[in-house]
Amino acid sequence: MKNEDQPAMLLLGVGGGGCRLAASVRAACGAGMRAAGADTDALANRQAAAGGMTCLLLGGSRLAGHGTGGDAIQGRLAAQDDMQNLQSQMKGVRTVVVVACLGGGTGGGATPEIVKALGEMGIATICFATMPFSFEGQARRKEAERVLPIIEESADSLVVVPLDDLFKDAGDDLLLDNAVTLAEGIIAAGMTLLWRLLSKPGFISVDPERLHTMVLRGGNALFGCGSAGGEDRAVKAVEALRGCRLLRSGAALTRANALLLGILAGSDLRLAEVGAVMREVHKACKPGCHVEMGTVLDPFYEGRVELVALAFESWTAAALAVPQAAAAAEPPQDDIVPVRAGGRKVRSKSASKLSFGATGRGKFKGVEPTLHNNHDLDVPTFMRRGIRLER
Amino acid sequence: MAIPPIAALEIGTSRTVVCVGESGERGRVRITGVGVCPTIGVRKGQIVDLSKVRVGIDKAVKEAEKASGVDIWQVLIALSGGHIQSVVNSGMLAIRSNDHVVSREDMEELGESVNDVLLESDRQLLHTIPLTFTVDDQSGIVKPEGMRCKMLALDVMAIHGLKNRIDNAVNAAKSAKLDVTDVAFSGIGAALSVLTPEHKHNGVALIDLGGGTTSYVAYCNSVFAASGCIAVGGDHITNDVALAFTIPQARAEDVKRRYGSAVIAPDSGNKRVTLPADVGFEERSIGCKALQTVINARVDETLRIVRSRLDDAGVLPHLGAGLILTGGGAYINGVTDLARLVFGLPCRIGVPSNVDGLDGVDQSAALAAVAGLVVHGRNNYEDRGLLSPVKHVLKGWFGR
Repeated sequence: MKNEDQPAMLLLGVGGGGCRLAASVRAACGAGMRAAGADTDALANRQAAAGGMTCLLLGGSRLAGHGTGGDAIQGRLAAQDDMQNLQSQMKGVRTVVVVACLGGGTGGGATPEIVKALGEMGIATICFATMPFSFEGQARRKEAERVLPIIEESADSLVVVPLDDLFKDAGDDLLLDNAVTLAEGIIAAGMTLLWRLLSKPGFISVDPERLHTMVLRGGNALFGCGSAGGEDRAVKAVEALRGCRLLRSGAALTRANALLLGILAGSDLRLAEVGAVMREVHKACKPGCHVEMGTVLDPFYEGRVELVALAFESWTAAALAVPQAAAAAEPPQDDIVPVRAGGRKVRSKSASKLSFGATGRGKFKGVEPTLHNNHDLDVPTFMRRGIRLER
Repeated sequence: MAIPPIAALEIGTSRTVVCVGESGERGRVRITGVGVCPTIGVRKGQIVDLSKVRVGIDKAVKEAEKASGVDIWQVLIALSGGHIQSVVNSGMLAIRSNDHVVSREDMEELGESVNDVLLESDRQLLHTIPLTFTVDDQSGIVKPEGMRCKMLALDVMAIHGLKNRIDNAVNAAKSAKLDVTDVAFSGIGAALSVLTPEHKHNGVALIDLGGGTTSYVAYCNSVFAASGCIAVGGDHITNDVALAFTIPQARAEDVKRRYGSAVIAPDSGNKRVTLPADVGFEERSIGCKALQTVINARVDETLRIVRSRLDDAGVLPHLGAGLILTGGGAYINGVTDLARLVFGLPCRIGVPSNVDGLDGVDQSAALAAVAGLVVHGRNNYEDRGLLSPVKHVLKGWFGR
């Protein structure tokens, strides 16, 4: 963190599940990290606030702090009600890590609105979204699947964490409560590693700016972690990483075009071990995969090697190529960077999205459009906001 | 002062209204006749088919003539549209008299100079509304006459629109053989008929939810504070409903009026509305929650745009009297509740209480703008006397 008053990064939990995850990460990382929560449930907010997080009650005037009752529409409206408050808390932040559990009312309804608003402020957003367990029912799963593309549209990077993947081969005796706690624990542990990687100085550091650039250029990502100790811990840690279910048991690594890899270890980490990790990781990835590596040496990890990875499948080096090509025709500039500071991603995700175009304008087809913040207000609001209708 | 009958015309997106008013008791304006005809040929406040608009004007004028018993040959026009904007214009005057006391002549001289607003060539001034004076370094002075100072400054709010759009409205009236004496922003009209001095003193925002546009004006501490217009109105709600359920526009309008609501009722989940069969239309049913969701999204968005504009103008914290909604859109179920949520302010529907004669009229808030225009005409008539036609605003351009 460069400046206490203007933190470069902030962790924001949205909804009950998101706030719980954010609180877990904060508890593991200590008070040094800035975390905030936004929820419609005043009781859950109070609990999160007791943990030292900054908490914002969404839709207090609308829902009186009772939560959305699982209604994503109420979640969306609640977020809109208090968006200015939220935005004022985000001033000066360059990257926001949004954590949300999809399928519910606040996580599913408010997250797309929040991510969109943050994007409009020029803040890079990386959204960790968990998909509900199968046993939570089809309705929640469908709701989560409906929301994902909307978040993807606005977020610079979306990390989808399917909770089911964590327990594919779980035994019959796994208790429900344990499953949820374990899932939250795995995700929180992974995020904690990521956070430590970003916040603790290391031999080869990954600073928030590098993540900011990776996120802006990388697009959607999968994330996972692995750890090992004892003999051959470097190789075993990579094996554990490859076996991580969040990374689709290694499939995500083989498909990734770019990888952000963090090695967290104690002061006993040897140079040969770093070399072994990188060698194994390169073996696991496809040829030409761009790997950004960082290390953190922390007595906390003494005797172990922990790896955390963000695998970007749709990474493109085109962003770099454009200024280089332009440099041939234009006078060289020292400050040419592939991504504008605080700006939006170069590639457009919307290119592959369904465009409502003229068909969505109905009787206003052919009439001068009413534009507001680059939105065509003649297109129905529910279409632009991606609201699903139960016709 | 008794005034001759004054007629006001509003060529709305959904209906054309003509209102005739005369002097009533205690100096108030009394509306003596109203003519209403559905409009064809206007979209989002813009005229797209002049001949069809003329037919609507003719019908509305005839109806108003019949009701009021006067021949209408001269009208004031209420105008709205996304092209209408406002800007604050400032002017200064050195007080040259030996005693440095501000005289009425000083104020008039300053008023004339500041009313000369520099606009782009395609724009036309509609109103200049005095805001506050600054006496040397003391700002917020309402009446500086008699005060001692070296420099007097005045801010005015200039409301202006695109010349060709204003021309189109004037030409539509002229095509119906009507002479146009003045063109006014419909938001100003609605404010004149609805807002009381107490509202303006306490701070109030009036939002006129029209068929094709949403106009707003705000007052703080009895001073005009903000105005504007968005080219989104009730027609957009109808269009959204038509597209959401793939039904014809007329059917969507009916569904909107009968079953629509701007707030999503908690118990609407399983309720359905049956749309009876008609020629070329099979019977079908639609979910109430889906209908309310479509309407809620649109009204919510529109109100939030107005809210952000009022916030930008810095008036939002000063609206002690809350919100007042006028126009046909004010009668959509739940719209006041939604506005209350969006703004966090008390909200109610505003009826044109500053004029008489509309007590028995159903949904009189829909007539607020055009009734207020009659008041505007009366005020101008009194200001300028019998022999001075009310053409100052347009500075002669429509009289050519």
